[in-house]
Amino acid sequence: MKKISDITIIDDDAITVFGLRKLISSSVECNAIESYANGKIAINAMTDFFNNKQHIPEIIFLDINMPIMDGWEFLEAFIKLPIKEKIRINIVTSSIDPLDYKQWEYYKNKSHHLITFNQKPIDRNKITEITQVA
Amino acid sequence: MIKVPQLSNTSYLIRQLPAPTAFIDTNYNIVQTSDKWTSIFNKNNECYNSNSLFAVFPNLSHKWKMVLENCFNGSPQPMGIHKAIDCDGQELWFEWTNAPWYDVNENIVGAIIQLSNVTDAVNNELELNKKELLLQQQAEITKIGRWEYNIIDNQLIWCSTTKAIHEVPLNFNPNIDNALFYYKEGHSRNAISMALFEAQNKGKAWSNLKLQIITAKGKEKWVMAGGKPIYNKGEMVGLIGTFQDIHEQVEADIKTIDNEKLLRTLIDNLPVNVYIKDTESRKVLINKAECEYLGANDPKEILGKSDFELYPYEAAEKSRKEDLKVMNTLIPVIGKEIKKTTLNGNVTSFLSSKIPLLNNNGIAYGIVGISLDISKLKEKEKELRNIINIASVQNKKLLNFAHIVSHNLRSHSANFSMLLNFLEIEKDENEKTKIVEMMKKASNSLLETLDNLNEVVSINTNTNIEIKEVSLNDKLTDANQNLSSFLSNNNAIIENNIPVNFKVRSVPAYLDSILTNFITNAVKYKHPDRQAVVKLSAENDGEYSVLTITDNGLGIDLEKYGEKLFGMYKTFHEHKDSRGIGLYLTKNQIDAMNGKIEVKSEVGKGTEFKIFFNEKN
Repeated sequence: MKKISDITIIDDDAITVFGLRKLISSSVECNAIESYANGKIAINAMTDFFNNKQHIPEIIFLDINMPIMDGWEFLEAFIKLPIKEKIRINIVTSSIDPLDYKQWEYYKNKSHHLITFNQKPIDRNKITEITQVA
Repeated sequence: MIKVPQLSNTSYLIRQLPAPTAFIDTNYNIVQTSDKWTSIFNKNNECYNSNSLFAVFPNLSHKWKMVLENCFNGSPQPMGIHKAIDCDGQELWFEWTNAPWYDVNENIVGAIIQLSNVTDAVNNELELNKKELLLQQQAEITKIGRWEYNIIDNQLIWCSTTKAIHEVPLNFNPNIDNALFYYKEGHSRNAISMALFEAQNKGKAWSNLKLQIITAKGKEKWVMAGGKPIYNKGEMVGLIGTFQDIHEQVEADIKTIDNEKLLRTLIDNLPVNVYIKDTESRKVLINKAECEYLGANDPKEILGKSDFELYPYEAAEKSRKEDLKVMNTLIPVIGKEIKKTTLNGNVTSFLSSKIPLLNNNGIAYGIVGISLDISKLKEKEKELRNIINIASVQNKKLLNFAHIVSHNLRSHSANFSMLLNFLEIEKDENEKTKIVEMMKKASNSLLETLDNLNEVVSINTNTNIEIKEVSLNDKLTDANQNLSSFLSNNNAIIENNIPVNFKVRSVPAYLDSILTNFITNAVKYKHPDRQAVVKLSAENDGEYSVLTITDNGLGIDLEKYGEKLFGMYKTFHEHKDSRGIGLYLTKNQIDAMNGKIEVKSEVGKGTEFKIFFNEKN
């Protein structure tokens, strides 16, 4: 089992956050799992980490539909941060809107980070796959 | 022995003869002339004595020599009528007579030639011949024949043209009975008999009687008959008249009338407006449809009028320019879509065509206009376009809604499936209880989602929503009462500036929901540093009743969130009660009533919503 230092979950749905935490902690060894209820809180935290030269989480699970700042807006702001490391951003959504798929392709090509698009529900195998690739 | 005429003092007597007279000797030399002769043939009255007769009249036929020779032998012959030129170069006609000239011994010594001036008579006769000829030709060309009826000996004479019209041979002898018989039985025969009777008994002339005859060959013909009595010394002695073949004209006239009627029937019953304009763009012909369109009972009210008298100046000028272009270039305008406004303000859409009317020289003398009223079509087209727009908006909404539904249901089902997986493998009882708690929560939130979706569906599918006139103030009072504890808990102030008795057209339940939603939002997102004040006012802009709700709350960054403001499950403030459904429902309700919402906002200052209630529902 590969050791991951930090994992971040950005999702407004408490159940999803609970489930992801449970899945990750049982399949990956990592220092900390942080969660944020919307993009705004998350980007503020990331910006703080960056400015304070703190460690940026290696893996991010990102929901799209969130209040105040949604997943796309978070991505837009996040890729503007000049982070050298290649962060694995896993979009987790229940949306089947083709528009969301297009948005993903757009950001995937625009950024050096590894961005994947995942449909809910996420199971243990998926988590293992995601965490192993890194 | 040659006998020489003895000239003596008798010459003085000869000179005084009243008729132009000349004495010639047997050598045809003129020996003596009367003064009358001299005055006619000799310039300056000089005597031609001893000139040869043939020298003076070079045009005289030499056969006269023989005639005169006979005369010299004592048997004079008539010389007939001949032309001669007098000293002024005028042509004169003379009847020549001669007699032997005897001397005292009864010897013939020459001839006496006497002239009598018949110029007038000859001219008259020539004139008469000419007239006769003219008449004949005129009759042949115009097909006007003549007839004469002599009452005294009951004789009828037809000229050759009259006979030709009757198709009888030239040797046909008409009489009054068979003449009448040629007229067609009925009106024609009655009319001519009457005219004849009136002429004979009352001396009345008749003219321009259009009648029908049946010719000797059985052909029906239209003729024009005229006649009048002639008198001699005050007594009617006969009738003369004309007889004209007008069959072709009448047939042509009848055909023309028929054609005109056909054309008139055709253009009057065409479902298009037809008109003809002259070079000055004055209407010279209009059909029924055009007449009705211009609001006239009788075409006479319109004929002779130009566009300047029928349409507003600007439109008339434009139309006149177009008319001139068509007449100058001879290029027609076909099926041009135009909008016409009459003087009384009626607006009609036409497919208008203007075609130049050409004379024999290829020059336009006016235009034919054909306009097809397409107002109804245009209206239908507009309606259709509207429907397409609505349909496309609805489609977009539906698709959007489908995505929302699928997303929401999927996210819940994903949660369920995930939690169930956990539950399956979980051994820890405490953890199990926690998972079941989660599942309860998920189930409640699924139910809530379904309720929300159901509400949206009911707004959008309820087509026969009942829109009523509702008092805005009454509804605001209701909303205030329902929200009273919420408002007092938040220490919010509602400022009502809505005019008394202000009414809007709305579904009453929707108005409740709209007021509740906007007031709740305004208070919920109040600015932490100040007391929430919500101001409501209303006005009517004709098409819409506009409700304005202004707050002094947090405000929304419209540049960032404008597009999503009315989206489902979109929230823009961190608030525990934000569900992202209120504005979405409100927007759907207003859309369903053909209204609209406008929003202005400034972050940190407040928001103003304008809700437009369609008054034309």
